[in-house]
Amino acid sequence: MTAAVSGESIVIEGLHKRYGDTVALDGLDITVRPGEILGIAGPNGSGKSTMVKTLAGEVMADRGRILLDGAERDAEDLAAQVTIVHQEPQVFLNLTVAENLLVGREQRKILNRRIDAAESELLADMGLSAHTDTVLEQLPLAAQQRTEIARALAQDARIFLFDEPNSALTEEESEDLFRRMHDLADSGRLVILVSHRLHELVVHADRVGMIIDGQCRVILSGDDLTEDRVARELVVGVARDAIGDVEALADAAAARASSEDGPAALRLSGWTHRDGAFSDIDMSVGLGEIVAISGVEGSGARALVHSMAGFAPATGSLQVGVESTSEADGDARSAKAATDQVGFVGANRAENLFFNLSVGENLLSRLSVDISDRLGLLHPRTLRDAAEHLADQFRVKAGSVNDPMGSLSGGNQQKVAIGAATATRPRILVLEEPTRGVDVGSKSEIYRLLRQYADPEGQLGLPGMEGHGEAVVLYCTEDAEIFEVADRVCVIAQGRISGELTLSDYDDVESFAADRVHLEAGG
Amino acid sequence: MSNDTNDAGTAVPEEPRDRIVSRLGGLGLQRVGGLLAAVVIAGFIFAVWSDWLFLKTGNLVVMIRLMGVLGIIGLGLLVVLLVGEIDLSFSALAVLSAVVMGKMWVELGYHIAIGILVAFGVAIFVGLFNAFFVNVVKVPSFIVTLGSNTLVFGFTLLISRNTPILAQKLPPDPEEWQVRGGDYVDAAEYTFFRALASNYALPGRFPLQVVWLAGFAIVFGILLSRGVFGFRMKAIGGNEQAAVLAKLPVRRYKTLAFVICAVMAAVGGLLDFSFISQVQPNQGGVYLFPVFTAVIVGGASLSGGRGTVSGTLLGALLLAVISNGLALNATGAFVQQMWLGTVTIGAVVLDQWTRSRQRSESLGAGLRGLGRRLGLLR
Repeated sequence: MTAAVSGESIVIEGLHKRYGDTVALDGLDITVRPGEILGIAGPNGSGKSTMVKTLAGEVMADRGRILLDGAERDAEDLAAQVTIVHQEPQVFLNLTVAENLLVGREQRKILNRRIDAAESELLADMGLSAHTDTVLEQLPLAAQQRTEIARALAQDARIFLFDEPNSALTEEESEDLFRRMHDLADSGRLVILVSHRLHELVVHADRVGMIIDGQCRVILSGDDLTEDRVARELVVGVARDAIGDVEALADAAAARASSEDGPAALRLSGWTHRDGAFSDIDMSVGLGEIVAISGVEGSGARALVHSMAGFAPATGSLQVGVESTSEADGDARSAKAATDQVGFVGANRAENLFFNLSVGENLLSRLSVDISDRLGLLHPRTLRDAAEHLADQFRVKAGSVNDPMGSLSGGNQQKVAIGAATATRPRILVLEEPTRGVDVGSKSEIYRLLRQYADPEGQLGLPGMEGHGEAVVLYCTEDAEIFEVADRVCVIAQGRISGELTLSDYDDVESFAADRVHLEAGG
Repeated sequence: MSNDTNDAGTAVPEEPRDRIVSRLGGLGLQRVGGLLAAVVIAGFIFAVWSDWLFLKTGNLVVMIRLMGVLGIIGLGLLVVLLVGEIDLSFSALAVLSAVVMGKMWVELGYHIAIGILVAFGVAIFVGLFNAFFVNVVKVPSFIVTLGSNTLVFGFTLLISRNTPILAQKLPPDPEEWQVRGGDYVDAAEYTFFRALASNYALPGRFPLQVVWLAGFAIVFGILLSRGVFGFRMKAIGGNEQAAVLAKLPVRRYKTLAFVICAVMAAVGGLLDFSFISQVQPNQGGVYLFPVFTAVIVGGASLSGGRGTVSGTLLGALLLAVISNGLALNATGAFVQQMWLGTVTIGAVVLDQWTRSRQRSESLGAGLRGLGRRLGLLR
């Protein structure tokens, strides 16, 4: 089969791409054959998404070439041939299904909003005939995705790249999507599936390529293609022979978590997201502990972390603080009282910092009431002293606390964001991807600061403020980061805790990562 | 705003040369300096053009009074812009407040204090109305206040039947009372009312609006540059999402901003009523453009988080100079309108230009800092 249709393969040869000092692709070679589904797996930051973007013509590679039908193709050619289907369909939500099919090809159909027979047959194939004249906004996500596929088919696209397409779909909808993926492959089109879920890769892909550090390290197919093998290969330089039974792992972790070793600084029980992103979460974070919450996009891990800080609606019980605990149990007021003792730093610096204010003002932005006098007035000297104290603690490298926020490097901006959150000394500090886009030096400083904040004896924050940090919770998906900073990781899959891992059980990041990826894939 | 020259803690130097320079440095000073220069140049042109009529006491009084009204209402608008919202209803509300007060006091014969209280009550209600739709219903403030502007204006015409309200005191002779007709108010209350905005003891009926403005400017200046109030307003206006994540009371401050703007509009409207002792219900849009222009020319940003009291005062002065100068030189109301439009667009262009300069300067500072760290620059 391969020989007969080799002329229609995509051949990727020696693709290199750098972003500044970061090597995203480091000589990637991979071939996609018609009639098969090629699975792509890889840890975060391995270069998967750069590969996807390069194939789609959105990113220009520094070196290397992409051959289609045996001829080299440039970005423009590729963009016309490749359709990416991901979690958020790129469709016109304000237009009907039929209009979506026609838009962009109007030259051939001037002012004619009707679709022709071939097109309506296409919609029937996609299970969309009932919705031809429905505005896309009113259709579920799965139908929007099918519209996107139909649109690509109508435009004779030949390459379909599915990038985590079903992370927001129900199980039934996912099954339907995979059926269509197989149909596309059977019709001779080139299909690539990028997924974090090992089970799906193993079931649906014919071959699975492992992308690690910007290279395709190994391609598994046939009998070699098992979940265990993929998980093992995913881990850099893996040396472990066997990966423990997932269920046993999950049980052991759960047992450790539930054992009442020390006092809990944060306790969740029956904690359920109002829109179902996660449900029935029971977990606790001990005094002085750093716990990472991990999970692929759409698993509910991010929403769980938001809900702890009071930024996502949830019901159930949330207890904050070792001593004077505030418990949220259903009503909005108690939830607010509990989450008020939680400081939050979001994933994007743009949503954490005030770029119209100075570095010092940013550091003090959360506690302006506490440092004002009785009349609510602020004194420049008090402000400067407080800001310099915080800048010093957090090793913010700025000429002066009066410098504008935008003049700081990314790492220092992030330190300011964390410093501002700790200034009020919340009991729990919740951070989302705390070192995203941060240089290595700042990273280790941030880890040290987080450790210091979790320690009840560590005196981070402004002197004179009441209370102290009791624990730190992070949303994090980077194995190296979790390994370095966390005591425990709680892995979320499909809205539930699929297992917990204690970092002290591992000697090296590779074996930890293998277990975590396993849990992340659903356990 | 990072360039506020009133606020020592926030001055933004491109390079910390020395403290005085760094405190006064940055574009805040350039902006204030530029505005002062504009006022002087415009004043000089009008003075020469009008054969020095422009500088006569009587004319200066008229001009200063205009500045007082623009400034008082402008301070309220400044607070709304700082917090990142917009209010278009203040002008109609200024007139409504005066009409409500006149209706209660002149037509219905209540005590003046009740009239004033009811007028402020109406203003606070409109401010809360705006804030409710912005905070709770989540309608953009531009739309909400565009609507409430028209609502307020219509209500003003309705309750006044579009008839001007004239405050006149009871004449000593009841016969004359019969002849002149109309409504009269208590003489003592009338004297108190007129004294709110004019002082006959000072030369040329010195307009007290300016004194009121000075008082408000001091209070607002302290609140905005030294108070937690202003600090949080700027933070919320600068990045609302960050303010939410920092758990700042965003809604409360927005509500406060709309109410303050409404109350200041009422103050401006009542003082104007007091000065001319008459209110025209159909003048609902008369303050909208000049006040907006004054505040924007004064350096407040339409995208929130930037603006100063000193800038607003100078903006109000510049607008007063330009309006008065044009009126004096008999260019006519129509040409005056065109000038106002020109100044508005010019102000926004200036705003964008200074902001892009500010960005490139801080970028420059960042690059210089990087260069120093790498040892490329000393």
